[in-house]
Amino acid sequence: MTDLTPITALGAEAPRARTFGPLTITEVADLGLASLALRKRQSAPTVFGLSLPEPGKAVTGDTASAFWTGPGQWMIEGPGQGDSDFAARVKAEAPEASVTEQTDGFTAFDVVAATSDQIDALMAKLVNVDLSRFTMGHATRTGLHHMTVFIIRRADTRLAVIGMRTLADAVWHALSDAAKRLEV
Amino acid sequence: MTRLSGGLIDRNAPLNFTFNGKPYQGFEGDTLASALLANGVQLVGRSFKYHRPRGVVAAGSEEPNAMVTLRDGAWAEPNTRATVAELFNGLSARSQNHVGPLDRDFLAVNDLLSPVFAAGFYYKTFMWPRAFWEKLYEPIIRKAAGLGALSMLPDPDAYDKGFLHCDVLVIGAGAVGLMAALTAGRAGARVILADEDFRLGGRLLAESDLLDGAAASDWVAGARAELESLPNVRIMTRTTVFGVYDHGIYGAVERVADHLPTPGDKVRQTLWRITAKRAVLAAGAIERHMPFADNDRPGVMLAGAMRAFANRWGAAPVRKAGDPVAVFTNGDDGHRTALDLIAKGVEVLGVIDTRPQAKAFGDYKVFAGGRVTGTKGRLGLQQIEIAQGGKSSWHRVGALGVAGGWNPNVHLAAHHRGRPVWNDDILAFVPSDNGPSGLIPAGAAKGLGGTAQALSDGVRAAAEALADLELTAPEVALPVTTDFSQAQEAFWHVPGKKRAWVDFQNDVTVKDISLAHKENMRSVEHLKRWTTLGMATDQGKTSNISALAVMAELSGATIPQTGTTMFRPPYTGVSLAVLGGGDTGKHFRPSRLTPTHHWAAAKGATFVEVGQWMRAQYFTKDGETTWRETVDREVLAVRSGVGICDVTTLGKIDVQGADAGAFLNRIYANMMGTLKVGMVRYGLMLREDGHLCDDGTCARMAEDHYVVTTTTANAGAVYRNMEFARQCLWPELDVQLISTTDAWAQIAVAGPKSRELLTRIVDGFDLSNEAFPFMACADLTVCNGLRARLFRISFSGELAYEIAVPARYGQALMARLDELGQDLGVTPYGTEALGVLRIEKGHAAGNELNGQTTAQMLGLGKMVSSKKDSIGAIMSRRGGLGEDTRRLVGLKSVNPKVQAMAGSHLFDTGAAQTMATDQGWITSSCYSPHVEGYIALGYLENGDARLGEVITAANPLEGQEVQVEVVLAHFVDPEGGRLRD
Repeated sequence: MTDLTPITALGAEAPRARTFGPLTITEVADLGLASLALRKRQSAPTVFGLSLPEPGKAVTGDTASAFWTGPGQWMIEGPGQGDSDFAARVKAEAPEASVTEQTDGFTAFDVVAATSDQIDALMAKLVNVDLSRFTMGHATRTGLHHMTVFIIRRADTRLAVIGMRTLADAVWHALSDAAKRLEV
Repeated sequence: MTRLSGGLIDRNAPLNFTFNGKPYQGFEGDTLASALLANGVQLVGRSFKYHRPRGVVAAGSEEPNAMVTLRDGAWAEPNTRATVAELFNGLSARSQNHVGPLDRDFLAVNDLLSPVFAAGFYYKTFMWPRAFWEKLYEPIIRKAAGLGALSMLPDPDAYDKGFLHCDVLVIGAGAVGLMAALTAGRAGARVILADEDFRLGGRLLAESDLLDGAAASDWVAGARAELESLPNVRIMTRTTVFGVYDHGIYGAVERVADHLPTPGDKVRQTLWRITAKRAVLAAGAIERHMPFADNDRPGVMLAGAMRAFANRWGAAPVRKAGDPVAVFTNGDDGHRTALDLIAKGVEVLGVIDTRPQAKAFGDYKVFAGGRVTGTKGRLGLQQIEIAQGGKSSWHRVGALGVAGGWNPNVHLAAHHRGRPVWNDDILAFVPSDNGPSGLIPAGAAKGLGGTAQALSDGVRAAAEALADLELTAPEVALPVTTDFSQAQEAFWHVPGKKRAWVDFQNDVTVKDISLAHKENMRSVEHLKRWTTLGMATDQGKTSNISALAVMAELSGATIPQTGTTMFRPPYTGVSLAVLGGGDTGKHFRPSRLTPTHHWAAAKGATFVEVGQWMRAQYFTKDGETTWRETVDREVLAVRSGVGICDVTTLGKIDVQGADAGAFLNRIYANMMGTLKVGMVRYGLMLREDGHLCDDGTCARMAEDHYVVTTTTANAGAVYRNMEFARQCLWPELDVQLISTTDAWAQIAVAGPKSRELLTRIVDGFDLSNEAFPFMACADLTVCNGLRARLFRISFSGELAYEIAVPARYGQALMARLDELGQDLGVTPYGTEALGVLRIEKGHAAGNELNGQTTAQMLGLGKMVSSKKDSIGAIMSRRGGLGEDTRRLVGLKSVNPKVQAMAGSHLFDTGAAQTMATDQGWITSSCYSPHVEGYIALGYLENGDARLGEVITAANPLEGQEVQVEVVLAHFVDPEGGRLRD
């Protein structure tokens, strides 16, 4: 185990969490991420027991999750795997595929609310996504304040926003500012 | 007070406000205009050019005259239409465009000079002497003519933006919009009902028509209650849909806090982008007036607006209660105003109807075949002249309503180049079929202005939208009502010798149109520019069609032959602040922070914006007084010891797949397929046209795995180009790409002592020159087991490495290197030192790859392999480009203390400095602490054959000429021994 101390994308040792009225936004620092892209003529493998999802969708398993990112491409998520070589584990699951470590390419924020309407109200201020169709299990890549993000509806009342790590402060600003305004 | 009975105001909720400092009282539900009228205030402003006294003309957003500056200090907002400003307690408003008090405007002298200010006057009068326009004429005209003035203080408010999606967007919540929303809402469609007003009902609130035998406002309240109960319906009042954009997206501004004294914690306005599968345009219609002599006096207003003030706000448009009111009309609609005013107890002089056979609809006098031919009254209407049957007589009145017919609000239907078409039956332009797809005009906006017509057309439009969406329209019962007769004749203006205003806001008269006609400015486009008709905040809402009619009459053509106006967004003015969406200053655009940002900040770094990135520019130490001092120290430390620098910003692209090598052979001009595993190669990428695109290193981590490095500036563009090539050019290749720029923190460790420093962090990895030579790369672990990548590459020309670790560890690794290297003199350096180091070494960067340069010019022509094809290779050999003889050289100032600026052009000493004698230019320039003088890089004609020659670097913009000696581009270690040691 290395003796270097990691920092979160927001630059602290501990992840940030704040509550704005009914909404709580939490920096998720321990999410392992690895991209999986199929080689030519390879069929989609089963990864950690998951069937890789269709376009616009995400699937959740016991130890890992996955969401679609492009034709023949997925992002595999390993909750709690942020500090490990998660890509190596994914590669072991799918040795034929091209796997690339993405854990620190991005940073994830969890937005949890009491009701789905509160999540929808927040999203309406941030992303141009038709919320009536963006129900649990949906994932997409979209623009948010001039940045690119993945959003995943993990539950009716829970949204993941995954943005570029180097833009973490700007993503936090956008999310927290929008959440604060909904309190008024 | 001229307050009448009734109306939708809350008389238990009085509101105090001031106008030009004088206190008044209105009620909850009032607009500033209705409250002023109810207080007998007719004079509210001065006109644009002639400074004529002006009053309220309309009752809605089409108002051309009653523009005031609302609020004070930084909140002061000029050109606010009093007709849409909701009254709140403490509101303060000021009239605009006058010098001295409103009732004694000094600049009213302009009115006497009106012949000077005829149409096109500024194109004719102020052309000579030419230089006077900008310095003298324009400032004077701007001061004299104009509307409100800005506060010149920063906007104190916050703004927001958002996105909504729906099946049916209903634009306007009058009779049509409410019926459409009820129909679509009951069918289960997702409906957004938007209205610019703060109250639902539209024109229903302004008319006295009964619905189902009761006041229309009762029916509206019922409709609202039902719509609010439907979870699939969103009601948005105070929301103006201002434009139709591509793919069914509608722009809308919600005025969240404009009706409050100050927004407090709320945003002031929100910009919504609404994606709607279908939209119903239920925007209603705007009444037009009929120009006659001196028709701009306060008290002359639209007849429909008079009804709105009387019915909705209980306000009579006269200065003194009891003053009689007259109506001038060309159709039956004007008679409604007389009937409604009489019902409210207002004395009506009569209705002047242009039609000879006109008859009264009630107990009032009709001047059949009459015309209004003049007005009197210094600051407000006192008398009108009525001509009838060859005789003229003056009559005392306090206000005159003018009813010239209604123009459907076709604006949104005319976006996307939809051209309205003329309908002779209703004497107006109506939406055509070539408007924005998915937008369904209905009711008055389509020319069906009767209340019953509108209600049923709302159902029709919603049913049409629902059918498109494959939803079933429910049975909807229409409220019972009747349509007032809409008969009218084509009568556009009263000819005469005196000025008759067509466009109140821009002070354009019938005479101006006539002059434009004489001067052959006859097309509507020319007419508009020549006279300024239809410009400014109201965009001719009350004047365009009347102007067309006058021009048609003058040219003997029909109105549709004369033309129509193009309507473009926005429907009403939209503030730039809300279009910007709220984020200003530091948050105007997002910035990217490097993994060592906070460490650098703690080290006292000065940061510089590099694209989106914030990068450490230099690290000032105590006692250093200039940036140059700091940078020189950092550069010398790298040359003599070891320096550390965050280079994470360089783009990194992970390339995998069986054909990765073949793919990169086509992307790079030089060979990459032959690169050995565990080695790095410098590469050039060309554009399709053969010019240089980008450069960087490419590392082969495994047989089927490469890591491509790009410049910071081109990281996104190169990745995009490679994705395009992969997906579109060569989809047959087995190759997968993904950016890893953010995933890895990368730190340059440069200088003769870099190996020694790195030895202290690697976990038993052999860094000897034999085991890990120049241009080697490897996966390894550092600091007790942390996975890392090491590249032996050098930008500075010294022995150097770049080490990459997962980004979360970047800061800790940097701190560790800093800590462990103290005895070696380890020095953090920033982008300035990085730049100096690479100029001293003669390495190209963005300055040298500016889009106009080639590999040959860089002296790297041989890198463009002829053994294979690659993007831009063939084009790089084309005639002209292939023969460019300019070459990259070093340039040393003859006087080492004088800098030849980047951008300077190179000439033979003593030669004329012209395009023809131009020998090249300087790309990069800096002070070199190694050379102890100013040096530069540049492209020079036959540069590689001119070493030792002294030439002139000229910067004519600054009047600067510097003598420079042509030298090798490598000021440091030209043999390259240091980086290979």
